[in-house]
Amino acid sequence: MFDVPLNKLVPEYIKKFEAYIPSRPDPELMRLYKVDHLWRLNNNENPLGPPEGSARVIAEFPPKRASIYPSGDSWYLRVKLAEKFDLDPDQIVFGNGANEAIAFVIKAFCQEGDNIITADKTFAVYEWVAAFSGFEARLVPLKDFGFDDEGMLGRIDERTKILFVCNPNNPTGTYWDEARLRRFLDRVAGRQIVVVDEAYCEFVEADDYPDAMKLLKEYPNLVTFRTFSKMYGLAGLRIGYLAGSRDVVDVIRRTCIVYSVNGLAQEAALAAIGDDDHVVRTRRHVNAEKAYLLEELANLGVETHAGEGCYVMARLPVSDTLVYRQLMAKGVMIRTMTGFRFPNWIRVSIGVHEAMEDFVRGLGETLSDREATL
Amino acid sequence: MQDRKADIVLSVGTDMKFLPLVLSFTESSSRIFGLEDRDALKLTLASEEMFAYLCGMTGEARPVTLTMKNGFYYALLRFAFDNIDFDPRAFNLTANVSPDEEGLGEMGLLIASRSVDRMSIFHDPLEGTGIYLIKEKTYPEVEPWKSEEAPDGEGLSYGPPDVEDLKMFVRSIAGRYDPFVYPQDLRYPGKVVDMVASGEYGVLTATDRKGRMAGGMTWRSTGTSTIECYGPYVFVEKGRQDVGEGLVAALISTVARSEAICLMNRYPTAELPPGYFEKLGTIDFVLKGERRPWDFLFRELKEDPGCRVYAHAGMEDFLKTRYKRHFLAREIVPVKYEGERQNPHSVFGARFQHSQNLVVLSPLWDGADARENLARHIEVLKAEGIANILFRIDLGHGWHARLYPVIEANGFVPSIVIPYQGKADWLFFTLRD
Repeated sequence: MFDVPLNKLVPEYIKKFEAYIPSRPDPELMRLYKVDHLWRLNNNENPLGPPEGSARVIAEFPPKRASIYPSGDSWYLRVKLAEKFDLDPDQIVFGNGANEAIAFVIKAFCQEGDNIITADKTFAVYEWVAAFSGFEARLVPLKDFGFDDEGMLGRIDERTKILFVCNPNNPTGTYWDEARLRRFLDRVAGRQIVVVDEAYCEFVEADDYPDAMKLLKEYPNLVTFRTFSKMYGLAGLRIGYLAGSRDVVDVIRRTCIVYSVNGLAQEAALAAIGDDDHVVRTRRHVNAEKAYLLEELANLGVETHAGEGCYVMARLPVSDTLVYRQLMAKGVMIRTMTGFRFPNWIRVSIGVHEAMEDFVRGLGETLSDREATL
Repeated sequence: MQDRKADIVLSVGTDMKFLPLVLSFTESSSRIFGLEDRDALKLTLASEEMFAYLCGMTGEARPVTLTMKNGFYYALLRFAFDNIDFDPRAFNLTANVSPDEEGLGEMGLLIASRSVDRMSIFHDPLEGTGIYLIKEKTYPEVEPWKSEEAPDGEGLSYGPPDVEDLKMFVRSIAGRYDPFVYPQDLRYPGKVVDMVASGEYGVLTATDRKGRMAGGMTWRSTGTSTIECYGPYVFVEKGRQDVGEGLVAALISTVARSEAICLMNRYPTAELPPGYFEKLGTIDFVLKGERRPWDFLFRELKEDPGCRVYAHAGMEDFLKTRYKRHFLAREIVPVKYEGERQNPHSVFGARFQHSQNLVVLSPLWDGADARENLARHIEVLKAEGIANILFRIDLGHGWHARLYPVIEANGFVPSIVIPYQGKADWLFFTLRD
């Protein structure tokens, strides 16, 4: 048996990295925390599941098809979405979840010495991908829980390549209305790529909420991200996409990994497009449970913040990571927000009513027993 | 500015004919990295002891790599072997240079340890096996300072200070706080500036609308999974927890997306806001002859995924109690020695921290002589005047946990579990009074 000389084989910069360890599968967590059920209120998944058409595709997927490679560039999906949004199919690129699309864009436009700009308290993956790829992530503090347009514009320099705007923002739920987004794009004036991440757009009902797809013709430097993981309940299949002008997307396509989206995900997503009933039912559910949750948290004396999207933020008088462990021991999994730079806040996804009740009960018990804390 | 990445490397055999080269290497590179004459000579003396010792222990010549690293406020000399194909007993603090030499004071590693500020024995798949010696630069001590006009603490903004503000921050801490609530590094403003420049220390301060410093916090990484922070130090009225809370929140936000899993605080002040940290336990340290309780406060920066830990029956109750108290999900796997073949010789690592009169022992190799070997380590360290001796095991290694009877027989009792410090949690033992 040989001893592998890792100290010689591993580059210095890799030695400094720690691998990101995602949470364990539910059965493992349930075994560790000694619970017989686990409500997942941490990932903003759709409690109603996928639309009926998608569910049917999944149920009827012939096992033999698993041995066949899928379309390498999600051909039928791009054609159908292009029709829906009045775009050319070549303006759309699919990825194994929208996270992969973030990496495509950063790889396409950034080189050593470049930077990206985003908010300090938003979806972490823009910052992570930039940092792990060796690019500077300039973080602009949120203003009143929202993206600060002037602050972002003020950080642009000649090495800025991409500005990421999460609209509505995860986790605060704030959004830029159409007028504000247009003003921002006009000020950027095409000099940088502006990414508008619309992962939660289908949850927003406000009239002044912009549809970035409709702005693509006017702003060739605009790229928008969408996903089937949230409203369309296909998170487990990992499928998302980006859209932009042909010239910009032509460049992004050079860095994308073909065949990374599996066949079942493509077919299930295809069946989800245009299912407006599913969107209406989900919105109705989210609105009702969000109202219930906010009222119950107020009864507990907990400060909350909720905007658009299928989640609510709550500020706790104790460490969020401690409350995570305490709630896990009661079969409820929430998202701690230290990682979002909101220490002692948690984000709670809207789930089924029984899960919401269990969360409220568990949090109430936890807050009344604070002996373990300082 | 000196380039921290520019290590200086010398590869030689463990043969005394290379000694002049080793001495010249150490002395010259120490000076290049900014050590004053006295400090450079001390590190050179340590390298002489170490090299002679390794030559004596390895028998025939083995390749050894000496690396001098520039830590800005210190020079680090590392002796590393890629493969150990000789008796690993050489890496025991208690190993004699030759069997003929008697007396605890003549042990090679111990002599080397006296000339430096920190010494550690390592054995790691990534780092190889060896010993490092650290000699810090000498800095002038802080002149405490207290502003006549206290800032009002309103309209605070948080950020890293420039060099002069950083020195003022250090002076203000000394002017307002008892030395037991800040680490010794903070008694030397120049050292803190160098530590920040090296990336080892982080500092952020709170500034009011008029640009006056209202307080600050410092932190450093103590491994890939843990950041240790100090403070908050508040320069407005005592007990202003709102300023303290702003500082703690700003600090956590700064490190939240780092690789660290845990944030520790061993130097809390009265301004530490409630609700941000959990208390893991207390260890009594003896400093300058005085016994003082040190609280170990921590919070996790990530969601706890739970993990598997190994435990000998003797420490299982302690672990269960601690894990229950802190809601830490752990699968405890029982282990014990069941007559299997053992290597004849054990090796214990020793990490010296002279400023705290502290040595942390940890297992590096398992061996049948572990009980006697550990007893000898304790004897040597006590004879050396070390007042604080801790023993640390990684509960992610079954063979560490299996050592419990050895540890217990040498007078240690389990004291504190710190999550995710190694492969799994670390368990610290303290010596029974």
